Amino acid sequence: MLKKIALAAGLFSATALASNAVQADVKVGLLGGISGPIAAMAPPMLDSAKLAIQQVNEQGGILGGQKLEAVVGDSACNPQNGVDSATKLVNIEQVAGLIGPHCSGSVLAVANSVTVPAGITLITPSGTSPEITGLEDKGQVFRTVPSDDFQGRSLARTLLNLGTKKVAVAYLNNDYGSGLANAFKVEFEANGGEISGYSAHEEGKASYRSNLAELSRGGADTLVIFDYGDGTGLTILRQALENGFFTNFVGGDGMKSDAIIRELGAENLTTFIASSPVGEKSNSLELFNEAYKAVGGNPDAIFVSNSYDAAFLMALALEKAGGDAAKVSEAMAAVSDGQGEAVLPGEWKKAVELIAAGKDIDYKGASGDLNFDNAGDVPGSYGLFKVEGDAFALQQALN
Amino acid sequence: MELIGLLNYAVFMAIFIGIYSLLALGLNIQWGFSGLFNAGIAGFFAVGAYSSALLTAPESAVHLGGYQLPVVVGWIGAMVAAGAIAWPIGKVCLRFRSDYLAIATIGVAEIIRLVVKSEGWMTGGARGVNKIPRPFGDLSYLYSQLAYLALVFAIVLVVYWAIERQISAPWGRMMRGIRDNEDAATAMGKDIKARRLEAFIFGAAVMGLGGALFAHFNRSITPEAIDPMIATFLIWIMLILGGSGNNRGALLGVAVVWIIWSASEFVTDQLPTEYAIKAKYMRVFIIGLLLQLVLRFRPEGILPEPQGTAGSPEVKTFQKQESAAK
Repeated sequence: MLKKIALAAGLFSATALASNAVQADVKVGLLGGISGPIAAMAPPMLDSAKLAIQQVNEQGGILGGQKLEAVVGDSACNPQNGVDSATKLVNIEQVAGLIGPHCSGSVLAVANSVTVPAGITLITPSGTSPEITGLEDKGQVFRTVPSDDFQGRSLARTLLNLGTKKVAVAYLNNDYGSGLANAFKVEFEANGGEISGYSAHEEGKASYRSNLAELSRGGADTLVIFDYGDGTGLTILRQALENGFFTNFVGGDGMKSDAIIRELGAENLTTFIASSPVGEKSNSLELFNEAYKAVGGNPDAIFVSNSYDAAFLMALALEKAGGDAAKVSEAMAAVSDGQGEAVLPGEWKKAVELIAAGKDIDYKGASGDLNFDNAGDVPGSYGLFKVEGDAFALQQALN
Repeated sequence: MELIGLLNYAVFMAIFIGIYSLLALGLNIQWGFSGLFNAGIAGFFAVGAYSSALLTAPESAVHLGGYQLPVVVGWIGAMVAAGAIAWPIGKVCLRFRSDYLAIATIGVAEIIRLVVKSEGWMTGGARGVNKIPRPFGDLSYLYSQLAYLALVFAIVLVVYWAIERQISAPWGRMMRGIRDNEDAATAMGKDIKARRLEAFIFGAAVMGLGGALFAHFNRSITPEAIDPMIATFLIWIMLILGGSGNNRGALLGVAVVWIIWSASEFVTDQLPTEYAIKAKYMRVFIIGLLLQLVLRFRPEGILPEPQGTAGSPEVKTFQKQESAAK
């Protein structure tokens, strides 16, 4: 009996603590895959989002000097924890908007069962699944990362233009890899290309030689890899090079990783190209890079610029909506629609003044211009990168 | 804190507790009453979730289906599919005893997860199944949550009643007999293999129903949901903590563990942000620690299984007479 009482007391104290938390000025939820499969990627992403919030507070705060506060939630990269955490953020913390979750499956579940019914706007920095485009979301779901469809398709067209007509495709079996590979395959075949091998692989195996041998049997000399260059993708590329299965290699943005150059050596990578997002002739990315380095972050980490943009956009939308959660989605679309005076990362004060003066603003993000379409998606601008010296250099833009 | 928000959160927690209750009750049939160490709950959860999703979802280019059957058909389909998958698995694996069965079922769950991820033509692969209809989904936030809660509650009640009935029937006593002393049961002429298979399928069907309720609640199901941590081991902890072999214990265990799991995030949020992120991992640790403590100090769980034949009607009448005599 004593134990039961102790347990009940523990639960009560937990709820009591919770009630203390509700005293901040303006709250946004920051929902990330802190524990779980992307645990290594999540902390830098959260840090960059917090940088945006810190800049807002340093430059006079939000909604007439109030403090913007981020409440961090853990989605663990699965729908169960994602929905649980989002429900807490929306109902208990009463956030005005939600930045995250990070994984596509969580985004779908959270949007469907929490944020859309509750009328809260959600912006994800890294949910790349094409399914997010088709959500019945009343315009309340946005993302700062292009759908996998965009990159896969433009890479397919560019390769065909370069004269590569026959390729084999190896992709990591998760939403990132299979989304890209699918879009690539559809576009490549529709435009007259031939895919001689197409196979998924699981991560973390010691050898992929049998997969590679199977893929090379189709007779293509180009291998397209949709994977992460600091993970399985590196192993695949190394084993393909070592055994001479293929001569040319093409990667998606995950493969544009310094780990590849460090591990394999630039001299071995003369036939390797990778597509990756490029910022369009603005200095937004540099502004962000400097600011993020100043707080001790590594701006090359994956999705950090997208995460920063998501947080900054949420703040802009809240300011424009006057703090009314119901108007945030409309405001979000308006602050980055390609029309109005340009606002760059970190220019919070300027943005507030423009909004106060009733002028249109257009946020030019660190990860691209981020002009939302009707589905809340952003088009990506991608370039093909090759290895030059000890770094990646832009070879040409993708079309 | 607004009251309506608190209510929303409470309703949500109750829905999740209901869904997890089905998984825990399913496991209780297998482990609690029949002694089958099933460590592949996530697999049956997935089969149920996907079957119901595919039966009821609108047509899509990325996965099988487009049948748009009523949700009830989907839920029955989920139970049938999970039971049907359990049959061959049980046929092969149930000859193993305890630990070996656990290893085999972990493997089976992993196979199911990989099939779901890889066979894109059927399941949509990593994109999953979306636009699954949710009963009462068109109502406003609170009302649709409340309506779904009522539905989940009713289903849990029916399942609980069905299991209680089955367990206090001769079948249940026989299962406990087989669990406690297999040789004696064999000597009494019981067909142990067939009986175990029945329990395995019965439990799997209930787990499948839990999966279906989960998929419809979120209107989507993706392979990320088939995480053994959250869909297998968490349920084991719930059952062990609540008291295996006791359905009320299973329900209590689910409620206690889920509330701790969910509410512990509020506690970690009180810390300064730089620690708050690290403290999220603490939640996983707390659940593990809880299991250790329970196993050390109260291995039979909060509500242990009634000893002897205390559950049977004759004994109850006997006890009543006895207490009346006193």
